[in-house]
Amino acid sequence: MAFLEMSEWYDLARETNWTPKYVSEDELFPAPMANSFGIPVEEWETFDEPYKVSYRDYVKNQREKDVGTYSVKAALSRSNFFKNTSPHWKALLALHFSAVCWAEFHSASAFARMTRFCRSPGLRNMATFGTLDEIRHGQIQIYFAYEFLRHDRVFDWCHKSSKTENWIIVSLRHALDDIAHTRDATSAGIMLNMGLEQAFTNLQFVALSADAAKFGDHTFATMLQSIQTDESRHAQIGEPVVRIMIKNGRKAEAQKLVEIAFWRMWKQFSAISGIGMDYYTPLEHRENSLKEFMHEWVIGQFGRTIQALGLDLPWYWDYFMYDIETFHHAQQVGVYVYRATEWWRPIASVSPAERDWLEEKYPGWNDTYGKCWDVIIDNIRNGRFDKTVPVPPPLLCNMCGLEVSGVAGNKWQAVDYSIDLEGRRYHFCSPVCEWIFKEEPARYKGHRSLIDRVFDGTIPEGDDAFYEYMGQSVEERGVCGYDYNWIDGYGDGSAQAAE
Amino acid sequence: MVEFPIACNLEGDYGYKVLVVDETESVADVIQKAVDQLVGVLVAPFPPGTVLKLRLHGSETPLADDMTVKQANFAQMETVEIYRAG
Repeated sequence: MAFLEMSEWYDLARETNWTPKYVSEDELFPAPMANSFGIPVEEWETFDEPYKVSYRDYVKNQREKDVGTYSVKAALSRSNFFKNTSPHWKALLALHFSAVCWAEFHSASAFARMTRFCRSPGLRNMATFGTLDEIRHGQIQIYFAYEFLRHDRVFDWCHKSSKTENWIIVSLRHALDDIAHTRDATSAGIMLNMGLEQAFTNLQFVALSADAAKFGDHTFATMLQSIQTDESRHAQIGEPVVRIMIKNGRKAEAQKLVEIAFWRMWKQFSAISGIGMDYYTPLEHRENSLKEFMHEWVIGQFGRTIQALGLDLPWYWDYFMYDIETFHHAQQVGVYVYRATEWWRPIASVSPAERDWLEEKYPGWNDTYGKCWDVIIDNIRNGRFDKTVPVPPPLLCNMCGLEVSGVAGNKWQAVDYSIDLEGRRYHFCSPVCEWIFKEEPARYKGHRSLIDRVFDGTIPEGDDAFYEYMGQSVEERGVCGYDYNWIDGYGDGSAQAAE
Repeated sequence: MVEFPIACNLEGDYGYKVLVVDETESVADVIQKAVDQLVGVLVAPFPPGTVLKLRLHGSETPLADDMTVKQANFAQMETVEIYRAG
């Protein structure tokens, strides 16, 4: 039997904007869920995805990818690999899996919303594949992560983390809820697909995959690559949506959605990928710095893409350049010193050689963030481990949920943006987080950071109560991944000698 | 006695910390509290003779050391900076 070529039936097969008989169009596509932005359905029907795939081919491709990935996993038993790997890589794996598995799985619901409510039949078709992709990404990553559970309880957090009120998870969940899970289908199509996937997934999957291959973790590298090929396909949903919006006089709306989503995701990737690339990847296996990746993948490629579409670079582009140089270095200090509030084993990664690398990649690092590390190092050297943990808690941004930070050391610069609203003072780490809040205060004003919850009595008093609130038993509180021995390289006596 | 949190950035530190202050405390007390909790933890000891001052974030003018928290009219979660004078 002869088969038609896909190009001969594809357009016909995706024409699914049928005329409803039993309900009205408005009931079928309720505005709060669908949001056509006042653009006629005929315009939405012009959506044309750059990657076209049939269900038959999709299943075949996905199966082949799974077979390849699982074969690598089976061939390279990772039990010994994990036992022998460095605390650097263990911290990176723990951070990746516990932040990404559930986020991917949850994304399936955002794609399913697009599948059901978007006015473009072509988009609905692509979002169906996206839904399946995200279920796969959640499952394959949890499966791979759970391989390590017999060695390390940290990997329990690959699944558990999303159900907790841990401050880092609250931060990530708030961002994803904002751009993907509480938006109409059209807005989510722009914010999730363009602001997150097209802009940033290269960082976590291509860049990290390159680092993993260089490190020799071929199983992890293969898994990441198999995910990124999906991301590359369904990340393309956003472009045709933006094109239709611009053509029909809705550029301002599309621009704003991109600006909000891009910033919210930048903050998350800055902390997760930034710390992963510039601190947790073993020095000898680092491919590039976060800044270098950002300049190549995001500033270059994504910047050109949105301009080619007819959008402008986000208004905060100059501030973004400053943030690339600073934010994640400050967060890394905080993540290390407040390590008990994290479920993995954070590492400092500021040995003399690593500091040289940081200084080379970020000129001035030693004179700024390095000054905080100097004090921490002195305390470890003198056996004053108690002084490596600050007594006062950090101030958390009321938008991104990460620390309100500036520049440390000799170029000290205090950075804070605040708004008084209905008797409450809200703090922001950047003018962009403040701007997002000001654009829609009613949307954001009810959220309280973990620190807010400490002081308004939501979290009962006492250390144990605080950790229990965040879902952390005594065993689930982070400790230094190197048991302080990383200061050996400084030559004036190790931490153990100081004890 | 009314206690409440403020956000404080001590010169040299990478970010703001939340300190609990009492409205009867003086500005000098707040400075000392920040020094006690952060110098030698995240900030290196200042050279002998260093004079530290406190200002509201965004202001160039230091508050008088003997002014109380109540007189300074700090709001809950007020943002202040502690810096080297001169």
